[in-house]
Amino acid sequence: MVGKLYDFRQELGRQGIFFCFSGPVSQDLLVEFGDILKQKILHGESSNSIALRVFSMVVEQAQNIIHYSAEKCVKNDSEGEERELSIGIIAVGYEGEHYFVVSGNMIEEENVEGLRNRLAKLQKMDKNELKKHYKEERKKGPAITSKGAGLGFIDMAKKASKPIEFDFKKIDDKFSFFSSRTVI
Amino acid sequence: MENLKIGATKYTPEISFDCEKNILDIIGESYPENIAEFYAPVFKWLEQYIEQLKNDQNVTINMELIYFNSSSSKVLLDFLDILEQAVKNGKHIAVNWIYEEEDEDTLEFGEEFQEDFEILDINLVQKKG
Repeated sequence: MVGKLYDFRQELGRQGIFFCFSGPVSQDLLVEFGDILKQKILHGESSNSIALRVFSMVVEQAQNIIHYSAEKCVKNDSEGEERELSIGIIAVGYEGEHYFVVSGNMIEEENVEGLRNRLAKLQKMDKNELKKHYKEERKKGPAITSKGAGLGFIDMAKKASKPIEFDFKKIDDKFSFFSSRTVI
Repeated sequence: MENLKIGATKYTPEISFDCEKNILDIIGESYPENIAEFYAPVFKWLEQYIEQLKNDQNVTINMELIYFNSSSSKVLLDFLDILEQAVKNGKHIAVNWIYEEEDEDTLEFGEEFQEDFEILDINLVQKKG
């Protein structure tokens, strides 16, 4: 592996990826990534509003991993308490004058069909339909006690410049690997 | 009742609710991992506050959110919903939705909230440089 690390990095570069993380995803990772984007704004590589959009895509996808990944590990936090962390992969790149965010995580086979249908429905919607759908879902969304509001993908579709691409790769009888790509 | 003050963190906003001046500020970023845990005391305070509020008092709510995630957007809707109900019951409440000059997404969120509410006053305020 050690000899191939450079090739791996070159491959990421060829794909336009400037940030890549694979492993247990946490809130702190998001803060870290936010700082990377702030640097890009400072150096004039990106405007404030575009950077905010990139950041929002990363937050939604990372929090989807945190809440829904079927692959977990246990870590002791700074107070010595055991915490469950969710494993996934997330990468951010720049290609053809657009930023993009790709992410992936394991999901239970029984959740594949539901998620596939939801995303296929979003792919067919135009901006106005997405806006309407977002408002309706937000109104009827679950109570504050829920993990999320189920709005993440609609929010991303609204802010993206192209429909969200997605894929499910069957791993075994129990799990599939879900991946998505959003273009800002 | 007592004022509510919660300091900002990297992913939660500063909450500064003053029940003597009747000014409620929410300022910063909002993308906590556990949305319920953070906002439960905020809603609890708001409900108690509105209960003791008199109809001749003017309340100003300043919402200045640089970034918030989609589950925070749901929370904001619920928050504004409580305010709209209070206005329907005769309270005087005005909301300032404050956004940065080039931040179209936050402006659009403000406009969409305006469409969602009938009688609650939501002013879109561009932040001065």
